[in-house]
Amino acid sequence: MEIFTIAITAILINNIVLSKFLGICPFLGVSKKSSSALGMGLAVIFVIVTSSIVTFGIYHLILTPLEIQYMDLITFIVVIAALVQFVEMVMKKFLPSLYKALGIYLPLITTNCAVLGVALENIKYDYTFGQMLVYSISVPVGYLLVIMLFSAIREKLDSAPVPNAFKGNAIALIVAGLMALAFSGFAGLV
Amino acid sequence: MMEFAALWMVALVGIYLLVYLMNKRTPVPPGCENLDQSCGGCHLITCTRNPIHHEKEESHL
Repeated sequence: MEIFTIAITAILINNIVLSKFLGICPFLGVSKKSSSALGMGLAVIFVIVTSSIVTFGIYHLILTPLEIQYMDLITFIVVIAALVQFVEMVMKKFLPSLYKALGIYLPLITTNCAVLGVALENIKYDYTFGQMLVYSISVPVGYLLVIMLFSAIREKLDSAPVPNAFKGNAIALIVAGLMALAFSGFAGLV
Repeated sequence: MMEFAALWMVALVGIYLLVYLMNKRTPVPPGCENLDQSCGGCHLITCTRNPIHHEKEESHL
């Protein structure tokens, strides 16, 4: 039951974009087309899950025994940057089709603070390995859900009669705000 | 504990540099050479694939 609560909370109630306002840059930048949004969402799922496992392991197996837990922020930043480079290299060498599909989005992941946010929250909430895994899968699934909804709305907005003053980012931010209001209705669900 | 922290920091930077160089030396698979050019650009100018960086390079030349 606790696992279910963690998942629903991360996907709907405390959505990383609409509730914690993390990962806003790629959320606004790569949501003009649904196909780009899907690619970005899948790349975020892959990187957040991988980086969470690695950072969780490093914190508990290296930083805690050496009593240098205060180095968590700087460690996680460098680890995530290195991980993205490593993932890109592995994809180039062994998974060229996946590289072709996701390669364009990988550099964007390093600027996505949702990845760092999840790594830090896993430590902050004192999760066990299982809970961390569920949380690390649920958060990017929530990100994918929101970015897909947002991109679908933005595609419709392209053909909508929007006043000149609201065209572009202005209307996109208003839509994001309305989505955040709508998602706040999930509070109290579990 | 400070010496552990310093050593850890050096190790981290070393690992990053190693992975960065390995990634840079790995050849791009066939058909993916022009991924940068397929990027139409978004508002994220910190991304290295954003065409704004290529425009800057060309203007310097």
